Amino acid sequence: MSDLYQLSVTINDTEYQRSVEPRMLLSDFLRHDIGLSGTHVGCEHGVCGACTVLFDGQPIRSCLMFAVQADGHEILTVEGLGTPDDLHVIQEAFWEAHGLQCGFCTPGFLMTLVPFLEENPDPDEAEIRHAISGNICRCTGYQNIVEAVKLAAENMRA
Amino acid sequence: MKIEGEYTFDGPREAVWEIMRDPEVLASALPGTQSLDQVSENEYQGEMQVRIGPVAGLFSGNVAITDEVPPESLTMTVEGRGKPGFVKGTGAVQLIAQESDKTLMQYEGDLQVGGRLASVGQRMMDSVSKSLLKQGLDSINNALLARQEAQSTGEKVEYQAPSESEFAASVAKDMAGDVLTSRRMLWIAGAIIVIVILLAIYLMSRG
Amino acid sequence: MKKSIGERIKRNEDPRLLTGRALFVDDVQLAGMLHAAFLRSDYAHARIKGIDASAAREHPGVVAVFTAEDMGEDWAPGPSNVAPPPGDVVFHSRTHVPLAKDKVRYVGEPIAVVVAESRYIAEDAVEDIFVDLEMLDVVADLETALDPDAPLVHDDLDSNLAAHLIQDKGDYQAARATADVIVTRKIDIDRGAAAAMENRGVVADWDEKGQQLTVWDTTQAPIPIRNGLAARHGLSQSQVRVIAPFIGGGFGPKILLHYPEEIMIPWISIQLCKPIKWIEDRRENFHATTQERRQVHEAEMLLTREGKILGVSHTFLHDTGAYDPYGLTIPLNTQSHATGGYHVPNYHSEVKVAFTNKMITTPVRGAGRPQGIFLVERLLDIAAKELEMDPVEIRKLNFIPSEAFPYEREIIDQAFSPLIFDSGNYQPVMDKAVETIGYHHFINEEQPRLQAEGKHVGIGITPFVETTGVGPYEGARINIEPSGKINVATGVGTQGQGHFTSFAQIVADQLGVDVGDVNLVTGDSTEFHWGTGTFASRGAVVAANAINASAKIVREKVLKLASKILEAPEEELELEDGYVRVADIPRMSISLGDLAAEANPLRGAVEPGTEPGLEATAYFGPQYGAAAFGVHAMIIEVDPETMMIDIKRYVVAEDCGTILNPLILEGQIHGGVAMGIGNAYFEQLIYDENAQLLNASLADYLVPTACEIPTIEVEHLETRSPLNPLGTKGVGEAGTIPVPSLFAQAIENAFPDHDFEILEMPLSPNKLFEILHKKEVGQ
Repeated sequence: MSDLYQLSVTINDTEYQRSVEPRMLLSDFLRHDIGLSGTHVGCEHGVCGACTVLFDGQPIRSCLMFAVQADGHEILTVEGLGTPDDLHVIQEAFWEAHGLQCGFCTPGFLMTLVPFLEENPDPDEAEIRHAISGNICRCTGYQNIVEAVKLAAENMRA
Repeated sequence: MKIEGEYTFDGPREAVWEIMRDPEVLASALPGTQSLDQVSENEYQGEMQVRIGPVAGLFSGNVAITDEVPPESLTMTVEGRGKPGFVKGTGAVQLIAQESDKTLMQYEGDLQVGGRLASVGQRMMDSVSKSLLKQGLDSINNALLARQEAQSTGEKVEYQAPSESEFAASVAKDMAGDVLTSRRMLWIAGAIIVIVILLAIYLMSRG
Repeated sequence: MKKSIGERIKRNEDPRLLTGRALFVDDVQLAGMLHAAFLRSDYAHARIKGIDASAAREHPGVVAVFTAEDMGEDWAPGPSNVAPPPGDVVFHSRTHVPLAKDKVRYVGEPIAVVVAESRYIAEDAVEDIFVDLEMLDVVADLETALDPDAPLVHDDLDSNLAAHLIQDKGDYQAARATADVIVTRKIDIDRGAAAAMENRGVVADWDEKGQQLTVWDTTQAPIPIRNGLAARHGLSQSQVRVIAPFIGGGFGPKILLHYPEEIMIPWISIQLCKPIKWIEDRRENFHATTQERRQVHEAEMLLTREGKILGVSHTFLHDTGAYDPYGLTIPLNTQSHATGGYHVPNYHSEVKVAFTNKMITTPVRGAGRPQGIFLVERLLDIAAKELEMDPVEIRKLNFIPSEAFPYEREIIDQAFSPLIFDSGNYQPVMDKAVETIGYHHFINEEQPRLQAEGKHVGIGITPFVETTGVGPYEGARINIEPSGKINVATGVGTQGQGHFTSFAQIVADQLGVDVGDVNLVTGDSTEFHWGTGTFASRGAVVAANAINASAKIVREKVLKLASKILEAPEEELELEDGYVRVADIPRMSISLGDLAAEANPLRGAVEPGTEPGLEATAYFGPQYGAAAFGVHAMIIEVDPETMMIDIKRYVVAEDCGTILNPLILEGQIHGGVAMGIGNAYFEQLIYDENAQLLNASLADYLVPTACEIPTIEVEHLETRSPLNPLGTKGVGEAGTIPVPSLFAQAIENAFPDHDFEILEMPLSPNKLFEILHKKEVGQ
């Protein structure tokens, strides 16, 4: 088998030291090695967006990166965004607007939207749809996700 | 999948025929070829590393040549199997002598493709196979020119076959042209080029 | 206390889902768990001459490799999912196999399975298996599958005919002789994928010491899976626990009973006494998860010159793929919907189901209904054109009148029972859609104005029926805990439809508690072990009414006990805010939690003939399914150069009986429409002439994104179903059903100067260009 590589990565403000195979995908590493299974894998080829996490604040597809590439970097997953008793404002808006059904794609949408709303505090509908066009949802028809983003933006501005 | 096209070689028909039937030249002309052995007069067996977009892997297969009318025409039957899937097909090749010692090659074939090659590589298959063919034929033509020069000067001229990475980069370039026609696929084209270049760098560093 | 049924209540399940804390199958981690990967056929049709797995077995990290031969006596085809049709119907049952033996019949059929320490290693080792295959001629095309010289998918049959069924109502031929107008067309519909965001997966854990099998499965039907596994392994049903946790979308294919992997993973766990996990990847999902829609119809409609429909006939081929475990459900649904919501006195239908070398077809959201609706609505549009009638008027003229319900269709439905539409009032729904989209204003004013500007804008308006809520039954157990929380257990399973909330609302209203205090467990066979599954838009009909029935009994128990404790007659008691109160004396009250504690005393005596606790189990099975109705209307603009579409307005007027939660209901419609738009214009599984699937990735198979889906305006009307106490009808598939027909209408309408007809689905920009162009060249 291949050699193991040491890596040190900060995930949701906690530092982890692990040794991994170089071919270990970041998505698998997060889900199975660290046990943060809120990051979901829908297509393994970077199209569906379900596995989106923040990598030094930027949304990336964790299925298209190797775990070793995260060495020395900071990652935020959906588990670090909020808890059931203390939801992030975007999570709260998704709940309010029924922006999720099966919930499988939701973590990817949320992680895509966190930096988007930071950079675009008052987006119009076209901008919202464009922002989430790299995330596939099969349940909602996107309408209530768009509503949720509008609501979140409103609440964030307030 | 149907394949057809033509190509003009810078050499007389007999020379083209001869070089086409030389497994060593064929092997060097087709980058990724790991081995190509003549197992009988009209049958070759070999292994080739194929790369079509996200699909890559080693193919083993054989090529049988039938209906041979030197130096005019032949039929090729190709059967290959590998981890990425399988290829099976027949092709008819015709050589037509042209003016000023040039030779026109016309080819047409029907290819059956299965497995990952078909299901994931399909969108790139047409472009890649065209590119593969064009570059393969260019390489043969270069080898042909080198051989002719060697014959005329009496000196041996080294023919350098393209490396796997040069080849991959060329494929990416050829493909981008095709893919870019669809607006929706623009970003994918970008991504593919990046991936192919990364692969090329990886291969170079490995080599 | 305000009733919660009918209110827009936020979902109970969301906080967990939103924070990444909900359990999906791939989240299950067990100590010592091994991982499986399947070797699947690259060939659509080939004979297996030998398998050499020795290199894979020696691969470091590999624990075991199994082929069909290694299964010995345990190798047996999967079960048939539906009862065989009545005696006079030709039906050849050939069910899918756990691992291919002798022959592979579709690309993606599993041949061998590798079990290893990690999925990475398992996949590596899969590539080390050598299978000696002899390619066979392929049955790739439905239309030639029944030709006498077609290769045989199943060698023991004389042909690829899987089933043959004829249904008649009235006397079609006699009606034909009297018809003023006869419209005959060929309708061609191709395959699509359900493409749920979560791929399938199974984790199985055989506890050798406890003699207990636990299986986490992405199934829509956990109880039937449990029953099947018990039967297959000679275990008692109580030794098998099947858990369908949160499911990342189902849409139909996750209901097939015992996919090969659902057979293999538990079997391997028992062989190795180790927990085993298999998670499907996206490419496997394209190849090895069931699909739907392929049918080719020769269809005909008979009308009077006034536009009254006299008859509909269609002779059609249905593609079942390599096996037919799902029986005739899809073609029977097509027949059930091939006359839409119209009174059609004469009907003739003949279907031949054919085996092909492609993945099995089973219901995908819509399940045969979109094909039926497409057929009848297309014929009606063409007839309207011939008769120079308004497409809305010709529909209104033919609707089943409200006084005709319950309306007998005089054919059999998917359950082989007489098809009856329970209730309906179609005209107002149509009027609502017409009014909301501004139909007359658009065709009289806006469209001419926009056309004058050179824009290609068109309108479509398609009504549809949806048979929903079929039996046999669901059940539920409800109990009140001493904490005052209410537990509800049902076996139906869930796949994102908000069952945790809409079911909780029913209980909350019966027991006077907050919706958030009702905790639902579904899809765990240990919690509740009777049930069928979540499909056929039946959750809100069958399971909801079982829960309602069960909650009523608990309410009776609550009242009885409280009456004793509070010394007040039951009629004077009310349930509110988690308390039972004497209506006029609010301080005389007891909380449900305290009452539950009283109902389960630690000492003393329980009266003879009574049961401890505030608990009840009840079941509900409808006499027959409920028929929902709706109308979709759309205004579309088509770019004549690129054929890209821009949906300007999309209106849905629907009547699915009592509304439990409009928020959830509208979500179901939005998602259904989005899938319908995919079916109509973006999504097609493209196979080549050797039945190789050419677009097995989400980069090539185009699931619509937020940029393709418009805002959908939903209007509600309510005609209760008389078949269940809540009056509900299903809605899960409704959004998808009329969309292909709607697209055909609106696109044709957008090109008034072009003489063309859209008779195929799915379309795509390319295909639309060809259809328009071909016709022009033909002229």
